[in-house]
Amino acid sequence: MFLHNLKYELLCNLRAPALIAWLMIFPIFLGIVFRIGFGSIYENNDLFGAIPTAVVETEKDEIFGRVIDSVSGEGSPLLIVTYADNDKALDMLKNGEVKGIIYSGGKVTLTVAGKGIQETMLKAFVEQYGVYETIIRDALEHDPAKAPKVIEALSSDIKACTEIPMTQGNPDPYAQYFYNLIAMVAIFGSVTGLHITENNQANMSPLGAKKNCSPTPKSISLIASLTGSFIAQAVCMLICVTFIVFVLKVDFGGRLPLVYAAAVTGGIMGVTMGFFIGSIGRLSNEFKNGIAMTVSMVGCFLSGLMVGSMKAVIAEKLPWFNNVNPVAIISDCFYCLNLYSDYDRFNFKMISMLVYIVVFTALGIILSRRKKYASI
Amino acid sequence: MQVFNAFFKVLRSKLGIVLIYMIVFVALVVVMTFTDTASGMFEQERLSICVFDEDCTPESAALREFIGKRNDLRELENDNDTIIDALYYGRVDYVLTIGKGYSAKLAAGDTDGLFESKRMHDSYSTVYMGQTLNEYASTVSAYIAAGNDISAAVSKAGDAMLKDAEVTTISFDNSSGGALSLRSSFFFRFLVYVLISLTMSTLCPVLLAMNRKDVRYRTDCSGIRPNSYTLQLFAGSIIYIFLTWIVLMAVGVFMNGGMFEGMQLIAVLNSFIFMVFSALLTILLSSFSPSINVINIITQVISIGMCFTCGVFVEQSFLGESVLAAARFMPAYWYMRVNRMLDGSETYDGSLITQALLIETAFVIAVGAVTILIRRIKLSDTSALIAGRVRA
Amino acid sequence: MKNTVVKIDNLVKRYGELVALDHFSLEISEGEIFGLLGPNGSGKTTTINCLLSLLSFDKGNIEIFGKKMAPTSYDIKKDIGVIMQNVAVFDELTVYENIDYFCGLYISDKELRKQYVDEAVSFVGLEDFLKFRPKKLSGGLLRRLNIACGIAHKPKLIILDEPTVAVDPQSRNRILEGIEELNRNGATVIYTSHYMEEVEQICTRIAIMDKGRKIAEGTKDELKSMIRNTETVNIELIGLTDDIKAKIAELPHVYSTEYDGTKLTVCCSGGKHNLIRILGVLQENDLGFGRVYSELPTLNDVFLEITGKALRDDADSAKKAAPHEKANKKENFR
Repeated sequence: MFLHNLKYELLCNLRAPALIAWLMIFPIFLGIVFRIGFGSIYENNDLFGAIPTAVVETEKDEIFGRVIDSVSGEGSPLLIVTYADNDKALDMLKNGEVKGIIYSGGKVTLTVAGKGIQETMLKAFVEQYGVYETIIRDALEHDPAKAPKVIEALSSDIKACTEIPMTQGNPDPYAQYFYNLIAMVAIFGSVTGLHITENNQANMSPLGAKKNCSPTPKSISLIASLTGSFIAQAVCMLICVTFIVFVLKVDFGGRLPLVYAAAVTGGIMGVTMGFFIGSIGRLSNEFKNGIAMTVSMVGCFLSGLMVGSMKAVIAEKLPWFNNVNPVAIISDCFYCLNLYSDYDRFNFKMISMLVYIVVFTALGIILSRRKKYASI
Repeated sequence: MQVFNAFFKVLRSKLGIVLIYMIVFVALVVVMTFTDTASGMFEQERLSICVFDEDCTPESAALREFIGKRNDLRELENDNDTIIDALYYGRVDYVLTIGKGYSAKLAAGDTDGLFESKRMHDSYSTVYMGQTLNEYASTVSAYIAAGNDISAAVSKAGDAMLKDAEVTTISFDNSSGGALSLRSSFFFRFLVYVLISLTMSTLCPVLLAMNRKDVRYRTDCSGIRPNSYTLQLFAGSIIYIFLTWIVLMAVGVFMNGGMFEGMQLIAVLNSFIFMVFSALLTILLSSFSPSINVINIITQVISIGMCFTCGVFVEQSFLGESVLAAARFMPAYWYMRVNRMLDGSETYDGSLITQALLIETAFVIAVGAVTILIRRIKLSDTSALIAGRVRA
Repeated sequence: MKNTVVKIDNLVKRYGELVALDHFSLEISEGEIFGLLGPNGSGKTTTINCLLSLLSFDKGNIEIFGKKMAPTSYDIKKDIGVIMQNVAVFDELTVYENIDYFCGLYISDKELRKQYVDEAVSFVGLEDFLKFRPKKLSGGLLRRLNIACGIAHKPKLIILDEPTVAVDPQSRNRILEGIEELNRNGATVIYTSHYMEEVEQICTRIAIMDKGRKIAEGTKDELKSMIRNTETVNIELIGLTDDIKAKIAELPHVYSTEYDGTKLTVCCSGGKHNLIRILGVLQENDLGFGRVYSELPTLNDVFLEITGKALRDDADSAKKAAPHEKANKKENFR
């Protein structure tokens, strides 16, 4: 009986492809938008690259020239230097080809066109040159004997700071938009879940009434419907993740099977949420749809789908909320898998999803358990 | 006027759902505006740095103070996950640990491995702070080499490094600030998302009810001309959306801290045109009578997709050339151009604003015309459909 | 004595103020085609929904096959076939799949099910449309599909709630013949309708409902015998004087005469030669006449006489429609 119901549930899903198709199209479409939109932001704005700088030599300054060479040469350059005359340098600055102009000869000065980390770094570079110059001059004036040691201290290649990498994963902060996108597809499973109640409740559709008259227990037809929707949603999730990982080539870290598992679990949670919303009282289908949509959308918003900094703001102001918001839970799973080496938080998030699934299903079944209706 | 009247009667029956969406979206635009105004997506010169001092000597305290002069110091729990979260979401730019024995090593002239930094990736901030720390260490050791004791060296190095270089800032941007405050600018920016989502979410149930096959067939059989029907739908939808727009503008006035005036009225006009566009686009989509579930998803695709490509959620200046080139074919792009010129992120150019507003209007007219056309085609479709049914 | 299949005892169902079923009782025996007749909003569908345990009711008792009916009475449900007023099929499934689906809710055995489904298909004559989706079917075919979905599992009790609404006469006859055939094969049938002709045509026993109450019950002859009228004689003639009219009125068994200048209508109760006697009076007075016809009473007359209003007084009863019918109207703008 269960398999019979399941078979036709799946057949119906297959034959009414509009919803499922849109559930598949929309992450693909938005994924492409994100990929093209964010593709270069990370590399251009977050990852360090040598700073294009123009140098205008008002008079020859050999020491400064050597310093410039040392920071713009092979290896890990700080600056990409173009020597130019004043007019050309200003022109380049205006067009954004360089971030700043360093004037050498006599006092070293800097001209920039804006404020930002690159400008700050240029300023620090110029300042440091001044500092070294002062120290050496002081040493030569006060205690020439110590001057060689001072110069040695200044010019030795030191590495004061040991860098400890925090993660093996993909540190691109824009990847979180993809996490949230997948979470959104998952939570939209609620739309698939909504029709389960509609098709099984006698007071919501003639089909439901007819099913209620059959000797198939409602629990069986409900569970068959749920399973059918789980399967359909799981397929959506698999396609969505596969597309984002293999076509858009978004790096999810090294634990792909778990990414799939988290996505599918999230999708199932979405379906059960819809099932639960669908079984609340006698609201119109449209109204329930509205509730499912607003819950999903607000969840997505608070998880940072629209404004990326939202999740961090929530983490600061309402830390517990990220453990409750279903969308945030799903997207956090991907985040944890990407960045953390251990599984503590990931497991916690997965368990939270399972708890949601159980609670939603149980409440849904309790609310729509076999009953007579006051009116049909 | 029958269609027009029916529109509002149906709308009244959907008031519950309309109100839910209304409340949610007004809340969204308020939260979005405040969040982003607070976090400020503009580039900053001051970095947020978290310093863990394991050495606890006057020298390490001096370093901390030195860093704090030009950057903002943040407190974090010394826990890897917390640090990863903070770095990933940009709550801090740099996490520094001053190792035990820092002051002793520095006094002995040993400058290697004084610090540890926890890094995510090679960002500008890591490189910049790495450089600064190296320079600090070598400056201090240079002062020691010059015969100072450690505490004198530290204080001299601090003073020397904090001397500002002579920096000239040229502004090639001859805009004289924006007509919109930062907060109002964010408000109008996120209004794009809210207007289009709210319009589609609330108008669609009404239009779909009016478009229901049986009702439509029946209406098609009446004497009413399809163009008149469509125009009455336009009128009803636009009046309804106008009312919601008024509500949103009231929220905007509150955000602005006073009535809109002067140049700010351009932003109001801008959003008005975009509102009409949203309404007509909704009518166009609902002409295809999709199910309510499908329309919900299409709403998300259009609203989120358009907002990302046109620079609503992410600054236009961050987006690549190709994205912006494609975005030109969407009215939200032009809306954002106007908004950017008004808030001063782009040079103000009166003729460009006029052009952008005209392009938006052109979108409105185009969508309206296509809708009228589609509905006429749909009408002839109806008879074909009926004829296509199998007779018993 | 045949077994009682359905027993409804003092059923009361209220929708707020409105009493949809007012102490309604009914007993249906095995092998009957039982007709539930009444105008729109008289409580027929409410009765059916209560019977099927879909609706809760305020008072009363329902037994089917001698057992109390409850939402979980699966053993009872497996022997019931339901054909709802609204066509309830999956738009996504084909004709064959729909029948198979609903049959499968009752019959697990695949072989048997296939046989049953095939039989149901040929029973309603949908062989040529097996691969069609419901949306492509005409109204009559759709009704037939709806019926096939309800009877494929060969139920012992078949409940049909206005299955012929909006169906053309040919399809309707086909459906009625089908119902009689099912009955011949042993099924007990409950049939609701507001078309008295249908009910008269097929039902062995009839209950007439109005405003939630049963106002009459019996075989159609029993029902007709409940009223005075046994024969209505119509005679087209011109020049009838009050004098002659009075003579006709004085004839035995005649209880009412009416004349509108062209047609004389005489209602009689009982008696065997009423027409001849009336014509005799006319002959005596040398009065010529045109067409003459005599009508036997219909259920409409029964209804008319009991309630004082015509059975298909739709405009009137629609105003008093029960809430569930109002709910249907609400759907117009969904």
